[in-house]
Amino acid sequence: MKQVRSLVVLATLCCIGLPALAQPTPPPAAEPGWAKGRPKTDTAMKMAPVPAFPIPTAPDKLPTSKFKLPPGFKVETWASGVLDARGLREGAKGNLFVSSLFVANKVYVIPEQGNHQPKVIIDKMPYATGIEFHDGSLYVATNTKIMRYDNVEDKLDNLGEPKVLYDKLPGGNDHSWRYLRIRDNKLYYAIGAPCNICDPGPYGKIFRMNLDGSNIETIASGVRNTVGFDFDPKTGDLWFTDNGRDWFSEELPNDELNHVTKPGQEHFGYPFCHQGNIPDPEFGWGKSCDEYVKPAALLGPHSASLGLTFYRGNMFPAKYQGAMFIARHGPWNRTKKYADISVAWPDGKGGARVETFMTGFVENNSYLGRPVDFLVLKDGSMLVSDDHAGAIYRISYGK
Amino acid sequence: MTRWAAGLLSLAVAVALALMVVSPRLGGQQKAPAAPATGSGPKATAKAPAAMPYAPAVTPSELAAMSYPQRFAALCAACHGANGRNETPLTPVLAGQPSLYVITQLFLFREGRRSNEVMTAVAKTLTDDDLRGFSEFIETLPPVPPPPPDTPPDPIRMDRGRALAEQHKCVFCHGAGLSGGQQVPLIGGQHEDYVQVSLRGFHSGSRPGYTQAMTEAVSQISPEDLDTLAYYVARFRGPVGALTGK
Repeated sequence: MKQVRSLVVLATLCCIGLPALAQPTPPPAAEPGWAKGRPKTDTAMKMAPVPAFPIPTAPDKLPTSKFKLPPGFKVETWASGVLDARGLREGAKGNLFVSSLFVANKVYVIPEQGNHQPKVIIDKMPYATGIEFHDGSLYVATNTKIMRYDNVEDKLDNLGEPKVLYDKLPGGNDHSWRYLRIRDNKLYYAIGAPCNICDPGPYGKIFRMNLDGSNIETIASGVRNTVGFDFDPKTGDLWFTDNGRDWFSEELPNDELNHVTKPGQEHFGYPFCHQGNIPDPEFGWGKSCDEYVKPAALLGPHSASLGLTFYRGNMFPAKYQGAMFIARHGPWNRTKKYADISVAWPDGKGGARVETFMTGFVENNSYLGRPVDFLVLKDGSMLVSDDHAGAIYRISYGK
Repeated sequence: MTRWAAGLLSLAVAVALALMVVSPRLGGQQKAPAAPATGSGPKATAKAPAAMPYAPAVTPSELAAMSYPQRFAALCAACHGANGRNETPLTPVLAGQPSLYVITQLFLFREGRRSNEVMTAVAKTLTDDDLRGFSEFIETLPPVPPPPPDTPPDPIRMDRGRALAEQHKCVFCHGAGLSGGQQVPLIGGQHEDYVQVSLRGFHSGSRPGYTQAMTEAVSQISPEDLDTLAYYVARFRGPVGALTGK
């Protein structure tokens, strides 16, 4: 009988075409990149990245009324039902573009007039997260490629096929989503480290390319994962948030706010040095934090500092003009949760001063909302996306 | 090779082919697993329900007027059991599943990413509020232990399954009691055929998860070991492995 059974097995194997018949015991599953360095304690072992909730929060359940802002500011719900709302960019003809990350696989358009109903213009595209609008075109970057949809606002019912500008992005899941900016006809993007902590190889950098995808240049190195950067309107300098390594401790290291002063020549420390003064326990051997550019400011442990936007409007008080708004999305691998919108001012000496601007995203140590990205509208008010609640809020100032 | 052995071989080929031919009847992605390489496969694989036309006994407007417990009884219980556990082939136990896990799966069915004819048909009729209502109700269904097995679990296979579960870090996310939580399902005591198909689906890429966690976790595991894991978790009755006499 044993022989019969083995023949059946053999026949079955032949039929289903298993590639490896006599494979020895396979290696254990590769540890996911985010889990590298995780302590084996029960508490840490229960922590894993939390994707956005699959259903947008109902309009009457949004945390809008719980937000707290400085005197004179108010916040309202600008759009709801925008599942997984991440990046925000504005077209030239009164349209807002909204990207998404792990859940929705969509890009939406929301007309700025009317009742702000989102309309899906790109669907079933994983990691459709990096977006930028320039000269009538919508640039979209996923984990694998960068594309351009021309005359997008005239083709909202059917964008057609995009022009692929670049298809050699490394893909993968870890830190593989994009954030885009265009300045002086150069497209800026980043490729994060493919792990929590590792040698990032040719990645862990901010790059820029010509708008046709040619002439790639490195702008900054030693960057673990930036999902927010912008140019100071006064100086033209690039400022970026960077998410610090995980699993070092609950309280360290901080996420960083960084300032690029010599494009292409600066290294910001990863994976050797964190927050400017903590050598990595593994990769820091033989290195000194003095070899790397120090952060301009610290943004809190595991705060997941994402979108960064210089306020260029006229509505907010003078104090905020030229300041950077920073979305602290909030930690997943820290017991005590927090999330807010912070604001930072360059101090003119390479550093920055940071203040809390808007709170109310956390209740009973659970997220009610999590801010991601900003957009300053022409009237000077500012939109904020929230991927957890699937909403967009509008912050305004008035007497 | 003797003549009788050759005859058996061709018979086996025919059986295996027949299994493959039958599989499309299962509908969508839940294809019948190829005959398990280890002989003692799940007893239910042969008789899976042909993609049954989904016809609840109530109209949509009647459903809309019901509470979620009533709607569960009308819409879900026929396959999944009134208490969330049924012996329908290839149909998961819902009792004890965390609401976040349930809502992510209903979402994937509704989006058409996780394909199953019956479940996608149901999910397409559900609003966001429905997804929330059903998942919150399902979380209130207490776990139901499986009926006593017809035959005692094979201790060697259980030991192998436990070793694989440790080696491949299943307990990292599913917990030492395999009870799940948040976006992670309860798998201890889940139906073997369903776990087997799920694991093979994650491995082949035909079953998308809400996150990449399972795709990454099973990427290096052989089909034979996946089946052993399914055997093990289906018969798992607690973190101490009482059933294997240890």
